[in-house]
Amino acid sequence: MSMTVSSEVLESHALAVSLFGLAGTWLTAEKRTAIWVEARNAVDCTLCLARKQALSPYALDGEHSTCTDLPANILEVVHRIKNDSGRLTKRWFDEQIATGLSREEYVEILSVVATSIILDSYSKSMGLSDYIIPTPQGGDPSRVINPDVVDEGAWLPITKAEQQTEEHGLPNIPNIARAMGLVPSGMMHFFGTMRAHYSLAGDDFGISRSQVELIAARVSSHNECFY
Amino acid sequence: MLLRASGDRNNESYNLDAVTAEEIADLGVINGSFLMELAAAVYSQDLDTLAEIRKRGVDILGQRGIADAMGIASGFNGITKVANGTGLPLDESTKIVTGELRTDTGIDEYSEAFKARKYDQLS
Repeated sequence: MSMTVSSEVLESHALAVSLFGLAGTWLTAEKRTAIWVEARNAVDCTLCLARKQALSPYALDGEHSTCTDLPANILEVVHRIKNDSGRLTKRWFDEQIATGLSREEYVEILSVVATSIILDSYSKSMGLSDYIIPTPQGGDPSRVINPDVVDEGAWLPITKAEQQTEEHGLPNIPNIARAMGLVPSGMMHFFGTMRAHYSLAGDDFGISRSQVELIAARVSSHNECFY
Repeated sequence: MLLRASGDRNNESYNLDAVTAEEIADLGVINGSFLMELAAAVYSQDLDTLAEIRKRGVDILGQRGIADAMGIASGFNGITKVANGTGLPLDESTKIVTGELRTDTGIDEYSEAFKARKYDQLS
């Protein structure tokens, strides 16, 4: 059965796919595309599958099954975010930073993995072919530091913003929109993809708002997401 | 949880406990059980289940409805990784509005403090 994909989704996905092939703020294009390849294949990782069965992800050591030449610390971040993000803790995050990964690199990896998850989830869910991961275009990461961040109790500083409470009791700029503030390009890459599927303000859905929020809540629950 | 806000706006009351329940239960949202199956299928990425959900979904939600539902679920499969991967705290106003709800539905068990107690001690 062929499914119809809206032009808005097609356009946002085409742009998102192409951005993987360009150098980011902290990662080369080669690393960004390799991270997508790794995230796509991480579902079959034997270490991740064994850890998922364990009471604690710390119960098992070992090496991830890999199909790229990414370093071990990036592999760990990609695989845990993809396969077991519901059991991540501050301790785990600190351990990854202690391996020499900068906080900015971590945020860009997170953005690349989370964006790839939307793209791959959608194509599989709609019965479409996987997107072709682009050939890296080279170039150097810009390494631009964003000073407009603030500590709000997350593991990392988030975008500085004046929050106001809206009529429905929720903030005008929720923390989730600020979470990847250390790397604005990563934030835009992710939300440019996300916005084609969901927005708080938008009402142009083929299902009711209650149905939209039920799906959102249930998927969040499967992902053990507190936020 | 915006589902409650959505219910308030429509003067409808939903069984929000069902959102975090292991078994699929009736929330009071139209086609809620099917949407919960859809959410599980998109989370699992099982191709056979997804094909079956698409087939039923066209009849239940229509072409546009099932496409949007798949998109929303895929989007939340990604955005939850951002929240989980940054240890993101709730916004202050959200904390106030959803306090009782989070306790009642068990969402508090997904908090950083709870996860740290549960997983960090077992290493």
